[in-house]
Amino acid sequence: MTSENPTYTLWDIVKREIYRYYTHPIYIFGMIGAPLFCAFFFLTLMKDGLPTDLPAAVVDMDNSKLSRELIKQLDAFPQTQIITRTTSFTEARIEMQKGHIYGIYFIPNNFSADATVGKQPALSFYTNASYFIPASLQFRDMKTISTLANASVGLQQGLAKGYTEDQIMAQLQPIKIDTHALGNPWMNYSVYLSNSILPGLLQLMIFLITVHSIAMEIKFGTARKWLKMGGNSLTKSLIGKLLPQTIIFTVVGFTFCSLLYGYNYFPLNTGWIPMLIAMFQLVIASQCVGIFMIGVAPIPRMGLSVASLFGILTFSVVGFSFPLSEIHPSIQALANLFPLRHYFLIYIDQALNGRDWFYSWPQYVSLSAFLLMPLLIGANLKKALLYIKYIP
Amino acid sequence: MERENRLLQTIIEGFKDIFYIWKEELRNVFRDQGVVIFFFLVPIAYPIVYAFIYNHEVVRDAKLAVVDQSDTYLSREFTRRINATADVQVTGVYSDMEEAKRALDRKEAYGILYFPPEFSKDLHTGKQTTVSLYSDMISMLYYKAFLVSSTNISLEMGKELRQRNDPASTAELQNILVNPVPYEEVAMYNPQSGFATFLIPAILILVIQQTLVLGICMLGGTARERSPIHNIFPPSLHYQGTLRIVLGKSLVYLMLYSIAGLWVLGIIPRLFEFPQIGNPVTILWFTIPFLLACIFMAMTLSGFMTSRESPMLVFVFASVILLFLSGISWPKEAMPTFWKTISHLVPSTPGIRGFVRINMAGATLNEVAYEYQMLWVQTGVYFVTTFFVYRNQIIRAQRYSAD
Repeated sequence: MTSENPTYTLWDIVKREIYRYYTHPIYIFGMIGAPLFCAFFFLTLMKDGLPTDLPAAVVDMDNSKLSRELIKQLDAFPQTQIITRTTSFTEARIEMQKGHIYGIYFIPNNFSADATVGKQPALSFYTNASYFIPASLQFRDMKTISTLANASVGLQQGLAKGYTEDQIMAQLQPIKIDTHALGNPWMNYSVYLSNSILPGLLQLMIFLITVHSIAMEIKFGTARKWLKMGGNSLTKSLIGKLLPQTIIFTVVGFTFCSLLYGYNYFPLNTGWIPMLIAMFQLVIASQCVGIFMIGVAPIPRMGLSVASLFGILTFSVVGFSFPLSEIHPSIQALANLFPLRHYFLIYIDQALNGRDWFYSWPQYVSLSAFLLMPLLIGANLKKALLYIKYIP
Repeated sequence: MERENRLLQTIIEGFKDIFYIWKEELRNVFRDQGVVIFFFLVPIAYPIVYAFIYNHEVVRDAKLAVVDQSDTYLSREFTRRINATADVQVTGVYSDMEEAKRALDRKEAYGILYFPPEFSKDLHTGKQTTVSLYSDMISMLYYKAFLVSSTNISLEMGKELRQRNDPASTAELQNILVNPVPYEEVAMYNPQSGFATFLIPAILILVIQQTLVLGICMLGGTARERSPIHNIFPPSLHYQGTLRIVLGKSLVYLMLYSIAGLWVLGIIPRLFEFPQIGNPVTILWFTIPFLLACIFMAMTLSGFMTSRESPMLVFVFASVILLFLSGISWPKEAMPTFWKTISHLVPSTPGIRGFVRINMAGATLNEVAYEYQMLWVQTGVYFVTTFFVYRNQIIRAQRYSAD
C-alpha cells in the first residue's frame, strides 16, 4: 500500500461529502433551509383551515323587510361577508373585476311583494369561478340561502294554513342530504394541501440535490477521484456520497411528519409507523430517481433542468389537485414513475382514512422498486463520470 | 461648443456600447443550452403540457357506491337519477355499509350514498328523510361532484313529491306552490367551473417570470464562473458604464420575451380555447411593466448567483410558493398579514391577479389600476437595485485592475 494509492473506506467518502456542505452552503440551503421554509410557509399560510368572511356584494333592488332579512342571513354564514351593497348590477360587476369581491347576490325589484302573491320572482347569484376555492365556498352559501328563501316563503304560506313547522319542513325539503367528508370533516384545506405539497417539495429538493451533488463531480473534474475512492465501484461511491443526504432528508421528512401529525394534529389514523416508513421510502426512492436523471442526462445543466421540470410537473400529475382519473392515460402511467404518487396513496389510505395495511402494500412495494432504477442507468452514469469532460 | 461635442460623443459611445453589450448578451443566450431550455423550450412546451394535463376541466363520472337499505321505488329512482348525471357514476349498489366501505378501500368508488331503511316510509308519511353522503377526501373535486349532484336530485325529487302530495288545480299553480322563489346560479368567467380555466392563466404568468429568473441568473452565474475576479461581466472596455450594461442586457431579455409573451399569453389561450374576453391591447399594456419588473428583479438576483447551477436549487421550489402567494388558489383575504406583505415583493403576484382579471373577467386597466401601478413600482425599485448591483461590480473590476 503506497501513499499514492491509499485505500479508502466508505467513511472517507462520507467525510469528503460532508466537508462539501461546509464549503458550499447551497447544500445546507437545499436540504434543510428550503424544505423547512416551505413547511413554515404552508402551515402558517393556511393555518385557519377554511377561509372565512370572503367578501361579496349584494344588489338589493327590492329593499324590503324580506330582502334585508335574506342579506342578514347570508352575511351570517361563516364563509361570506357582505362588504358592499350596490344599487345596480354593473357597479357590483366592476367591484368583481377589481378583485374586491368573489360573488354577487341579486335580489330583483318587487321581490317581496311578488313572492307573497305567488308571482315567482327569481333570485340570482353570480360567483367568480376564476377563483376556485372562494367561488365554491360562496356558491354553497348563496345556494343554501336561496333554498332557504324558497322555504321561508313556503313556511309562511304553510303556517297560514295551520301546519306545524316539522310538517312544513318535510313538505318543503322532503329529502335532506347529510354530508360527511371522510377523514377531514372540517374541510380543512391545510390538511388537504399541506399533506401532499410538503412531501412534493421534499421530493423536488431531493431530485435537485442528488443531481447537483453528482453533477458537481463532473463539473469540477473530481469524478474519477471520487470513483477511485469507492474502489472503482459506482455503488460504493454513490452510497458514500448519498448516505449523508439520506440521513439529513429523512430527518427533515420526519420533521414534516411531526409538524403535520404532531404539532398540527392532522389526521393520523393508523399511527406513526406507516407514515414514517413511507416518508423514509420517499426519500430513498427520490434519491434513486435523482441518480437516474443525472444518469440519463449526465451534463450538469441538463440533469438539473430535467430534475426541475419533472419535479415541478409532479405536483400536477400525482392527483391531489386534479384527480388522476380525469387525466389522459399516458400521464396516469407517467405519474407512477414519481415516488410522490405512491406516497400520496399511502397517505390517503393510512393517515387520512385509516385503512388496513393490506390496501397499501402495493404502494410500499412500488416505493421499494425505485431502488432498482439506478441499476438501469448505472453503466451509462459510470461511463459519463469517467469520460465526459465538463464544458461550461 | 467643445463641451457639447463631448456630450454628443458620450451619447454616441453610449449607444455603441449598448449595442455591443446587446449583441454579446444575445450571443451568450444562444450559446448556452441551459439558458435556451429556460428561455425557449420551457415557455413553449410547459403551457402545452399543462393544458394537456388539465384538458378535462371537470370531473366526470366520479365513482359512487350506493347502500340502499330502503330498496324501494323511490330510493332506486334516486340512484338511477344520480347515475344519469354527467358528474357521477354509480359503480355498485350494496346492502350494507361495510361492503361499501370495502369498495372504497379497494378504490372502486370514492363516495357512498346511504339510504336508510325508513327512506320511503318517511316520505310517504310526510316526514323529512335524510340521505347520508360520505366522500373520500382523496380529491376535493370528487366531493364537489357528489355533493352538487345529490343535492340537485334531492331538490328535484322533493319538488315532485310535493306536487304529488299536494295537488293544485293547474300546472302553473302547482309550480308556484312548489317553487315560490326560483333562483338562478351563474359561474362567471369560467362557466363550467373548469380546473384548467382556473389554474392555467396563473401558470402562464408564473412560467414567464420563473423562466426569466432562472435564465438570467444562469447567465449571471456562468459569467461569474468564467470571470477571473468572479464578476458578472467580462473585462472589456465596453463594460464600463452601469447604465449601458443594464440597458444593453435588459433589451435582449425584453426582446426575447416579447415573443415568448405573445406565445404564452396570446396564442396559448386561443389554441386551447380558454375563456379569454380581455382586450388584447389591455393585455399588451399590462404585460410591459410585468416583463420589465421580472427582468430587473432577475437581473438584481443574478448579482448574487455565484455558480450557474445554484439558481435552480434556489428558485425552482419557489414557484410553488409564489403560486400560493398570488391568491389564485388560497384567497388573499385568508392570508396572514405577514405573507400578504411579502407577496408584494414579486411581480407574479400583481401579474397573476391583474392578468386573470383582464383576461377572464374583461377588466380594463382602470379595474386593475392597483396591480398595474404596483408592477411599475416594482420595475422602478428593481431597476435601481439592478443599477447598484452592476455598479458594485464595476467598482470591483476597477479596483481589481488598479491593483
